[in-house]
Amino acid sequence: MDKFVVNIIHRPEMVPEYSATVTGHGKEEDIGDKKLLTESLDIFKTQQRLAHENGLKVTIQMTYASLFNDEAVAIAKADHEKYGDEIALSLLGLPCEQFREKYKTKDFCIWMFSMEDKKAIVDDVFGKFHDTFGFYPESTGSYYMDADLTNYIKEKYPTVKCAVATCWEEGPKAYHTCNNSWYTLFDGGPWAPWIPSKQNTHAPAANEAEDSGIVAIPHLSRDLIACYDGNGSNFGTHPQNVLRGMIYDTKTWEYPYLYNLIDQYRDLAKYNNGYAYNMMFVGPGWMNKMGRWEAPYELLEKSYSDGCKYYGQLKKEGKLIDMTMSEFADYYRKKKTYTEPECALWRDILYGSDKQVFWYTDPYMRACVNMDQGGAIVDLRPYAAKLEWPVGIGTKHVQDASYPFLIQEKYRAGYFTHYAGEGTVRSAKLCHNGEEVDLCLCRTKAHFSQEGNTRILTLDPVEIEFADLTVKLQTIEYFEEGSSAIKIERKVLEMSDPSAEVELNEYMVACYGTTEYPEDMTGITLKCEGKDEKTINYEYRCREAEAFGAEAVSAVIPAIETKVSLAADKEAEGYIKEGYAFSPMFTLGYKTTLKDKGGFATWLKLEKEN
Amino acid sequence: MAQAGKGKLNYRCPSCFMRDLDIDMFFDKDKGEYYCLRCQYTGTEEDVLAKNEMVRFRYRAMMKRFEKFDFD
Repeated sequence: MDKFVVNIIHRPEMVPEYSATVTGHGKEEDIGDKKLLTESLDIFKTQQRLAHENGLKVTIQMTYASLFNDEAVAIAKADHEKYGDEIALSLLGLPCEQFREKYKTKDFCIWMFSMEDKKAIVDDVFGKFHDTFGFYPESTGSYYMDADLTNYIKEKYPTVKCAVATCWEEGPKAYHTCNNSWYTLFDGGPWAPWIPSKQNTHAPAANEAEDSGIVAIPHLSRDLIACYDGNGSNFGTHPQNVLRGMIYDTKTWEYPYLYNLIDQYRDLAKYNNGYAYNMMFVGPGWMNKMGRWEAPYELLEKSYSDGCKYYGQLKKEGKLIDMTMSEFADYYRKKKTYTEPECALWRDILYGSDKQVFWYTDPYMRACVNMDQGGAIVDLRPYAAKLEWPVGIGTKHVQDASYPFLIQEKYRAGYFTHYAGEGTVRSAKLCHNGEEVDLCLCRTKAHFSQEGNTRILTLDPVEIEFADLTVKLQTIEYFEEGSSAIKIERKVLEMSDPSAEVELNEYMVACYGTTEYPEDMTGITLKCEGKDEKTINYEYRCREAEAFGAEAVSAVIPAIETKVSLAADKEAEGYIKEGYAFSPMFTLGYKTTLKDKGGFATWLKLEKEN
Repeated sequence: MAQAGKGKLNYRCPSCFMRDLDIDMFFDKDKGEYYCLRCQYTGTEEDVLAKNEMVRFRYRAMMKRFEKFDFD
């Protein structure tokens, strides 16, 4: 039977985020405001009541501030006894009088502190927790947990086995939505639980040696289409986020989208050996008595109540298992192998299109395949590099914790560009008598299957119409566990003229980066590998080289310690292309000729290179 | 002219919302209108609410309940 697991998490945040700009507007800052503390605690009590009324177990993530509040501590102890709630420790909610006095800063995001401060704060917070409860927590978390932070916590407090460790695609898009004032820049991670590597939180561990020792869960379960394009904070299993997105009927206060989102996550069990996961974690600032933006308190409260009711109903129907975070970590460790991927064939459930994408994550890569673009790869993160990327004050990346991409269709154009240049995408073109058609313009659908350790995406055939020839072509994409490669196979099923030939150009346009802005491409080396080796050292000079029978065409990108290559299943012309300043990309590709019933396969491979 | 403040609810600018920006608006009680600090939108509460309905145009499936998530 499929298993759908939910983690419900609450945090008694004595000074909720947003309080200063919403509740406190027009007043001088008073972090110890008693009215604010009382209201915050009331919200926490309401959340606890709503979960328990619906038979749901909660993980209570105590904040540093709440450890100084006797009532919050008493509630946690009582609910642990009565309902089996887990008492855990959050690294969110640091701000309070005691914290400000000790650390003399208004910083509140644990991953942004210097390593020295991270250690001091962790010791302080964990010590205070131990003094209060008499034990160390098994679960912790923040919006993001960098690898150095996690490694320190695991070494010093080995009881910790689970952590909220990233928020899916909360990066430049969220930053922009907040008028460039919300510095949570951590795109590029998994959307569902994973075992982080010691080197980089986003990249799952490939083996025991890389295992950070915790199970990571994402902050919320997010819409895998809407969040990738728009503001992530509108489209997740956070009822008030759905209100923030205005995805509800203002007259009836109904929001079927929230239930569709939960149900689509349930449906992912069929791609993941019968397992699916959800997480709901609403901070008290989202149930502000003053309302939140245009939503009055009554609607905020109703939406949280409805969220709990729906999970509770699924539990009663035997379709859901509620777990605490530490229970989940134990369950996940038992069921998961290091190389088992996480897969999600996801459809649009909001905009009324039939758009479909496939997300794939394993210890070597995260990839997104877009069926609206003929199965093109539109996002690619080379986890194989296990890039060490320290973040926080005193490092090269004070705020930017994203895992770098090679392909990102929103930040680097994808198929469509304005006037000149190219965007990042892995696709193919068919050419015939001077006409050229890119598969990015062939909308289709995919079907998932699994053979042994290989996940297979079989796309519905598409028709390419030239002036004097129609070609029916099918694409099949293979993700073999542990291979660090994606195999893409094209098959000509039919040609209107069986004696005709077409040229197939398999290509990948790529670069690297974490934001919308270009990086320096100098230092990248492009190669046609094999007997007739050709090399281009990137200098923005728009050069090209090709070699028939190339064993591989590759790019080494020192800045992200990554090698990416394409290889083909038969002799073909491999080529490499340097970009130029207005198009800071590189291209790797193969050209071959296809006849009726013919086929061609290529492998996109990712490796660490340093 | 007195300084602006917040209205009874904390309305966002509908024009900015449509370009994925959450910007709180402020209320000018002398003119009886909300205004955006970032762009040039101004409007009464009635106009804000009407525009908030309009921004939902892209959510064509907002009220649909899905039972199938694949195309098999």
